[in-house]
Amino acid sequence: MSAAHSDSQSVRGDTSPVDARRYASAILNILEDSAQEKAQLTRTQRAVLNILDDVAGEKNRLDGTQRAVLNILEDSAEEKTRLADTQRAVLNILDDFDIEKKKVEEVNLELRNEIEERARAEEALRHAKAVAEAASKELEAFSYSVAHDLRAPLRSIDGFSQALLEDCADRLDADGQRYLTHVRESAQQMGELIDDLLSLSRVTRTELRRERVDVTALVRSVLERLRESQPDRQVDQVVQDGLVAQADPRLLDVALTNLLGNAWKFTSKRTSARIEFAAKAGEHPPVYCVRDNGAGFDARYADKLFGVFQRLHAAHEFEGTGIGLATVRRIVTRHGGQVWAEGQVDQGATFYFTLEEGHP
Amino acid sequence: MTDKVILLVEDSQRDEELALRALRKNNIKNEVIVARDGVEALDYLFGTGTYASGHTTELPTVVLLDIKLPKIDGLEVLRRIRADERTKLLPVVILTSSKEDRDRLEGYASGANSYVRKPIEFSEFAEAVRQLGLYWLILNEPPPPADR
Repeated sequence: MSAAHSDSQSVRGDTSPVDARRYASAILNILEDSAQEKAQLTRTQRAVLNILDDVAGEKNRLDGTQRAVLNILEDSAEEKTRLADTQRAVLNILDDFDIEKKKVEEVNLELRNEIEERARAEEALRHAKAVAEAASKELEAFSYSVAHDLRAPLRSIDGFSQALLEDCADRLDADGQRYLTHVRESAQQMGELIDDLLSLSRVTRTELRRERVDVTALVRSVLERLRESQPDRQVDQVVQDGLVAQADPRLLDVALTNLLGNAWKFTSKRTSARIEFAAKAGEHPPVYCVRDNGAGFDARYADKLFGVFQRLHAAHEFEGTGIGLATVRRIVTRHGGQVWAEGQVDQGATFYFTLEEGHP
Repeated sequence: MTDKVILLVEDSQRDEELALRALRKNNIKNEVIVARDGVEALDYLFGTGTYASGHTTELPTVVLLDIKLPKIDGLEVLRRIRADERTKLLPVVILTSSKEDRDRLEGYASGANSYVRKPIEFSEFAEAVRQLGLYWLILNEPPPPADR
């Protein structure tokens, strides 16, 4: 529009100063407008550039993103490979584990077999033990029954012999009476034998029950019984005070009755008989000893002393069944102890015994 | 009232004869009733079976009881005697065959008042009677007025 204005001016040809000023200001305006236009253009250009810049940035970013994605994809591939590796490794481990497991199972099987075998062996042992126990019980019942039944006729033999001697003495001469006396003695001896055998077997089958036993008092009571059995005998008795043991009182009573009974019996021909009971000082386990000054024994036969039916003296010298010391040994053995003897003919005898395991 | 009786429970006739002889020899004149097995002994004591007719209502002074008996053995007889109100205080002397028997019985805590070894030796029997406080039985005197 300003161009059209300037065209109209130039057509007229003549310019006044006012018109010149007007022209100048118009031109200035135009220039000004143009400058503004230019500034706008520049701004636009800058904006475009900025946009382009931005686009480029975007592209860069996109590139970056793409690269990153590619990287990620790459990484993922690596990861996948690693995973595959790991998986393989795990599978290997599982394989190994399987092998290991099989091995363990084999070992387990072996162990189980061994355990089963052991259980079978134990079962067999238990069975054998039960059989042995049953057999032993049967044997006990048998021996008890036999002993019982053996006694019945013996009782009649002894009883009626006595009846004959007492009721019919006037019809028997001296020989007849003597014979009958022998019959009675023999019957009684057999009765003792049966009793002793039963006592020996009882020692084996009764349960061992340890408790605190006043050994000194027990020895004195046994000696008292012996004194009562033969009140006219003079025997010097020395019993150590304060002896105490952990033992089965009933079994110990039986053992002491046998040992002290022997001492009593084998000193019967002494004018000054002496029986001592003591524990050897300073021994562990304690060693008890029964010492007498009686007939003693031949040391060469010492090992025979403790056997059943073994006798070192003739029956007419000292009576006895030969079972007493076997019983003593069994009692001592059941306590885990030992028994042994020292002696010489006519020099007395000493019997030693312990009631616990271990060598004194 | 007559002398109180003694009940002898014994299956062996020979042992019975020896027992009766021992009692006679020692001036024990009480009547002796003999039972041959455990059943007979219980029948006598409780008035059952062959004794159901009311033949006796009086208890014996003492029972001499063998252990090995036909049908019902001595220990069972003793258990039944001790289990019954009428007889739980009745003196019972067990006749033992051996030392072994005695040990066995003591182990059972059988409730016997005393033990006498067969054949009955007077000294043993006298000791049993002494333990039981039955002096008059061997003193051969009439019993004190019946306390039962």
